[in-house]
Amino acid sequence: MENIRKDFTTITWVMIPVAIAVNVVIGQLVVLLKLPVYLDSIGTVLVGLLAGPWAGALTGILSNLVWSITGLFPQAWAWIPVAAVIGIMAGLFGRRFKQLGWWLIGGLLTGIIAALLSAPISAAVFGGVTGTGQDFLVGFFRATGASILEATFGQGIVSDPLDKTITFLIVYLVVRALPARFLDRFPRSENVV
Amino acid sequence: MSAAFSLYQSRDSGLHRLNPLTKMTIALSGVATSLIVSGVWGNYLLFLLILVPLSAWGQITYSFLRAVFRVVWPFAISIFLIQGLFWTDGTPVIDLGPLSFKAEGLLFAVISVGRILLLVGSFTLMTMSTRPDALMIALNQRGLPHTLSYVVLSAIQIVPMFQAKANKIVEAQQSRGLETSGNLLKRVRALLPLVEPLLLGSILDIEERAIALEARGFGRRVKPTSLLILKDPVWEKILRWAIVALVLALLAVRIWLW
Repeated sequence: MENIRKDFTTITWVMIPVAIAVNVVIGQLVVLLKLPVYLDSIGTVLVGLLAGPWAGALTGILSNLVWSITGLFPQAWAWIPVAAVIGIMAGLFGRRFKQLGWWLIGGLLTGIIAALLSAPISAAVFGGVTGTGQDFLVGFFRATGASILEATFGQGIVSDPLDKTITFLIVYLVVRALPARFLDRFPRSENVV
Repeated sequence: MSAAFSLYQSRDSGLHRLNPLTKMTIALSGVATSLIVSGVWGNYLLFLLILVPLSAWGQITYSFLRAVFRVVWPFAISIFLIQGLFWTDGTPVIDLGPLSFKAEGLLFAVISVGRILLLVGSFTLMTMSTRPDALMIALNQRGLPHTLSYVVLSAIQIVPMFQAKANKIVEAQQSRGLETSGNLLKRVRALLPLVEPLLLGSILDIEERAIALEARGFGRRVKPTSLLILKDPVWEKILRWAIVALVLALLAVRIWLW
């Protein structure tokens, strides 16, 4: 409990809304560039890395809540557990940040877990589709005889690991570009300095 | 909060004057109900008979329906095409050459779309008729830490600022010759020059914001007061418990029928 409190300093509380806004705005930028990834959890991964897994989880949860409340993506609350796990994973792999290979493996694993968790949600609540261009993959898997759950998982396992690995890579590049004096203010600065 | 980015539509209506907790209870019970109701048309009926009249009471029917359909539409198309056409071993009802719509798939699609309609609708009704700050203050009064409402409300206010910043960065990089359209490789190359300045700028913002907050006593453990006063009449409290009881009764019936 004491350890968790140590992660939630003022700078953590300030970083979380900024991270949420980063999730939203970069997610929109990627849509503008018509790239086949989401990149809507860069902020969540950043908080997990710099302020630990619980702060990362909270960022994911509140991020999806903000997506919902603002009406940009009203169904986002259904994926709150997935968003929380992404923050936790980033926090756990934060210790391996300095070894780029391990950090990227962390991203890959995060993507696999995200696909595993989101498939049952999509299948049970949203008829097994995402309502985006990614659905041609769901259609492809359904056409080959996969069940609804299998087809949704198939779509996730094709797109999520790539998406999360790129997310972790971008966070690596950005944190590497920040001065050590600045990074030192974050509760988990030992991960990155 | 006027410039903040949210679906909220300001009206002087009974729905808007309800306590935010009452509207949250309606929204969450709508979500729960959409998952409980198992009939084909039940969710559509609930949407038409409860949510639409409530939106009329709030004088937001048109924008409410538009917002809901904007979200539900892509889901509906995807579900009907994918589950309708590719249902494994279904009974064909409509023949389209090599493909055909299957009865079971179409039935599944109708049920799923009804569920999504009620689910998205009940949440949208709340967000369109409730100021985000009023909702967070109502939750604070019930024991939610004020740091959490700070996070949600400031995120809602930061997003438009960052959107403006992102536009500026896109234009600046385009004027330096960065191509943001074209083939996939070109668009992938454009990603980092756009994302990196935005991220670095916003992260460096954090320190200044933290100092500003500390100077205003953010870390103090006292109970802050609020400018916004929320009414919570007794009948609304009763209404909330009645709604909860109704949903629980529905759940009990559903389990009993199983």
